Amino acid sequence: MEYLATVTILIAIYVILAASYNLVIGYGGLATVAHPIFFAIGAYVTGLLAIHAGLPPIVCVALGAVAAMVASVLLAASSLRVSGDYLLIASLGFQLGLLQLIRNLEITGGPGGLSNIPSTIVGAARTPTFLAITIGLAVVSVLGIRAIVRGPYGRAITAMRDEELAFTALGRNAMSMKIVIFAVGCGVAGMAGGVYAFYFQYVSPEQFEVLQSAQILTMVVLGGMATAYGPVVGAVLLLAIPQAITFLDLPQNVMAPLQGIIFTVLVLLFLFLRPTGIMGDSDNKPRARASEAA
Amino acid sequence: MTQVLRTEDLNKRFGGIVVSDNVNITIDRGEILGLIGPNGAGKTSLFNLISGVLRPDSGSIYLNGQAVNASPLYKRARMGIARTWQNMLLFRTMTVIENLLIAPREYAGESILRVTFGLGSVRSAERQARERALGILDRMGLADTADSMVTDLPFGQQKLIGLARTLMNDGPLLLLDEPMAGVEGAAYETMQAVVRQEAASGRAVCVVEHNVSFIRDLCSRAVFMANGRILQDGTVEELIASKALTELYFGV
Repeated sequence: MEYLATVTILIAIYVILAASYNLVIGYGGLATVAHPIFFAIGAYVTGLLAIHAGLPPIVCVALGAVAAMVASVLLAASSLRVSGDYLLIASLGFQLGLLQLIRNLEITGGPGGLSNIPSTIVGAARTPTFLAITIGLAVVSVLGIRAIVRGPYGRAITAMRDEELAFTALGRNAMSMKIVIFAVGCGVAGMAGGVYAFYFQYVSPEQFEVLQSAQILTMVVLGGMATAYGPVVGAVLLLAIPQAITFLDLPQNVMAPLQGIIFTVLVLLFLFLRPTGIMGDSDNKPRARASEAA
Repeated sequence: MTQVLRTEDLNKRFGGIVVSDNVNITIDRGEILGLIGPNGAGKTSLFNLISGVLRPDSGSIYLNGQAVNASPLYKRARMGIARTWQNMLLFRTMTVIENLLIAPREYAGESILRVTFGLGSVRSAERQARERALGILDRMGLADTADSMVTDLPFGQQKLIGLARTLMNDGPLLLLDEPMAGVEGAAYETMQAVVRQEAASGRAVCVVEHNVSFIRDLCSRAVFMANGRILQDGTVEELIASKALTELYFGV
């Protein structure tokens, strides 16, 4: 049961990650790969504060989220001014560079990672408490993002994605909107990182590699980009299926490659059968986009 | 003070191509100025310079006597420089009314903080915008299209929606880039009537248009441009009578 609970907590955390990434890349149309690094910033800042500053856990997680948010604003404000495409390159560089830093600094524990993060809750109540917290946060994140994109703000996001030049010429500040969307998405990822750090009490650099970027992106695309519940479906599916086959009792040398193969087959299947994702429009018609520029 | 727009020695070049060569124009309150000239004359570029899509290499732009050079595109729209686009640039995945609701000078839904914590004020602003939008659509006889997807409408109506969206901005200056291109029949009449009403209500209007009869019907004054330069500024009759200009324009 403990194993199932851990998997569920992990899935809930990834639901938060995928949902916030969907806000940025799906709704906001901001091409970034660096989502895991904001997860990392949240996790490391929270962990370090818990170890060295002895602050209350909620404060640690909140500061972790704020740190991720501040870092994301710096990245977005500097690169979006050049162009939208530049964000893709800049985010990749930012992720790789910061990971190198984390790997080489003493305070972050170097390549071995940050361990000994204090257990905030001990005893039998620990797992149920974390289950409640992570599932609760996942629900709040998904519904919160859904509320944002459905109202007048979401209408503005859609218009911006449809036709940015006309949008700006109507008096809308597209640049600041993009930075805000990016900051909110990355802040939520940072919060997820903080909870992750407290639950697992251990954070290491390889959990935030570019491979993670690919995994979260796959969750979003497979579930359905720019849909409210797509990331939930994507995260559950991509985490639960590889976990489920561990119950098959196969030898390790079959199991490890099998998980990779399942992942790849799922991606290929969806690419051909349902490119808009599980929760996307079923007519397989890609979202109409304006191509002419003025 | 009746002068709404004044440009002073506007210059802009892209490499060897001069799109604006010491351009000086003025538009008064209530006036409809025609802007004509052959393709590549710099008419749309002039709109881009005035609205802030392009930055001039030198020269100044004044709106109601106030320099707007330093303001970016979105701020100039909020100051009241409203424009349409030759190819409309409608928000294609949205309905007609949604296209219009995005477009007031101040949009309540633009701030995530206001949407989260000031929902009451956002709601009342939305209500006002919706009323205004329906009023504009009604004037154009398009009230029943409000909930259609813009891409489902015929071309002429899409052109009108492009104008309707711009009219959500109630500012002093209206720049219309080829409003009649591809438009005929009922939409043509509507377009003409609406542009006239807007000028009558006190806006300064500038129209880029190849349809000379449209210009003749609407404008008392017109400017002829070629190669980024203003060649003549006068009544439409004077411009049409000028042999040198008609040769340049029609190549006859």
